[in-house]
Amino acid sequence: MEPNFDDILDLEDVRGIAVLSKDGQILFQKFSTAANTVKLETKNWSAFLQALEGIREADFIFESSRLYVRDSTGGYLLVLMGQFAPIAMVRLNCDILLPTLKQAHATKGLARFFKRKR
Amino acid sequence: MIKNVLIVDDDQEMLLSVKEGLEKYDESFSAVIAGDGDIAVEKLRQGPISLVVTDLKMPRMNGFSLLAHIMEHYPDIPVIIITAYSTPEMEKQALLGGAVGYIEKPFMIEDLARKIASTLRKESEGGTLHGISSGTFLQLIEMEQKTCTIRVVDRESEKKGVLFFMDGELLDARVNGLSGVEAAYDIFSWDEVNLSIQNTCQQKENRIDGDLQAILLEAMRRKDESKGVPEDEDETRTVELLDPLDVSESTDEPWSEESVERIRKKLNQALDQRSGVDDVYRDRSWEELIRQVEVVGNLFNAGPFRVGYVDRRSGADLILLPGSDAPTVISVNPRGPKDRILQILVDREISV
Repeated sequence: MEPNFDDILDLEDVRGIAVLSKDGQILFQKFSTAANTVKLETKNWSAFLQALEGIREADFIFESSRLYVRDSTGGYLLVLMGQFAPIAMVRLNCDILLPTLKQAHATKGLARFFKRKR
Repeated sequence: MIKNVLIVDDDQEMLLSVKEGLEKYDESFSAVIAGDGDIAVEKLRQGPISLVVTDLKMPRMNGFSLLAHIMEHYPDIPVIIITAYSTPEMEKQALLGGAVGYIEKPFMIEDLARKIASTLRKESEGGTLHGISSGTFLQLIEMEQKTCTIRVVDRESEKKGVLFFMDGELLDARVNGLSGVEAAYDIFSWDEVNLSIQNTCQQKENRIDGDLQAILLEAMRRKDESKGVPEDEDETRTVELLDPLDVSESTDEPWSEESVERIRKKLNQALDQRSGVDDVYRDRSWEELIRQVEVVGNLFNAGPFRVGYVDRRSGADLILLPGSDAPTVISVNPRGPKDRILQILVDREISV
């Protein structure tokens, strides 16, 4: 079963989702047209993930956006949103999605769910 | 799931041609027909119907009576009026009566289909959730103080229910002919549900008038009772749900007494004693995380970092405020109104 990111991406003002492995590799990313200039590959994510060590869930609010981060066995889930996104809905949808990611990690690896980046 | 749209008209020819015209949209919705208001009432009772399109002038029960019946018994079901005898006064009356749309005959079938599709989309404009417990989605409503209509489907029995919330308060519930608090007990006893959220609430009258948590507990009690669970186990669950705050955090880092006291005071003022704020202090150990978050914020063109919320698996959750001095840390109860606290801080109701 492929993880269902669409329920989250369809929420109002959600601009994108990314899944990073524990060592900072980008396993999945999908951004809305408005946010498609974001280039995750240009950043080394290891320092950020190291700073998140021991944190299960984080919500970072900026002047014009909001970044929600969830730790899971399979990696880190990042949800980029605007200020009007229903954050509680995003959280609950992540609660539902995360067991799928964990299951993927436990079986054949998370990467099998995602298309290879060209 | 294909949604059912009930078309009501005493003109059989018209009824059949509308049904036929809407067949090409059967991937989105399916048309069910009724020759008059009485038949429509019966079809509604048999359910599930997602939307009603009704003519106004009909024998026995006319369109206005049907609209009133729907508003009384199925306020979550939107109604579109179609009529050949349109006057501005009738249109006004229909919309005041609760109709969401008004179409004059003759009309193009594509226009009706478009109106139906856009109205149905609103059923889930606030999002959908699958396979969650009733208790979990109640968190959502309480946290966001939402005004919405929630359609709930029990995954086990496939029963369907509707909940009406105004500013986070449960006004009414409907399921299988039940309404009010009895319907709420039934819906809250479902273990795993799918739900869709509509960001409006047609129901205005409060038919429940009770605390949500108390209703949830009573629903659990009734469920346990029906399963024959001993009462003392039920009490254990009550204690678990009402567990007192368990927060502890301390630091030896220096912090400015003045600013942290101001934050504490403002939050307590804004949220009474329910703020869940346990401690406010400054702590340099969060500087690196904040620095990294600012770098990520730049990547996303997110603007300056304002405030962060951190759940560390155990103990209190933390709210982090960047500042020219060491970051300010607010230690809060994980069950507290964190979104409200964040909003207060983001809105700069408190300057650090």
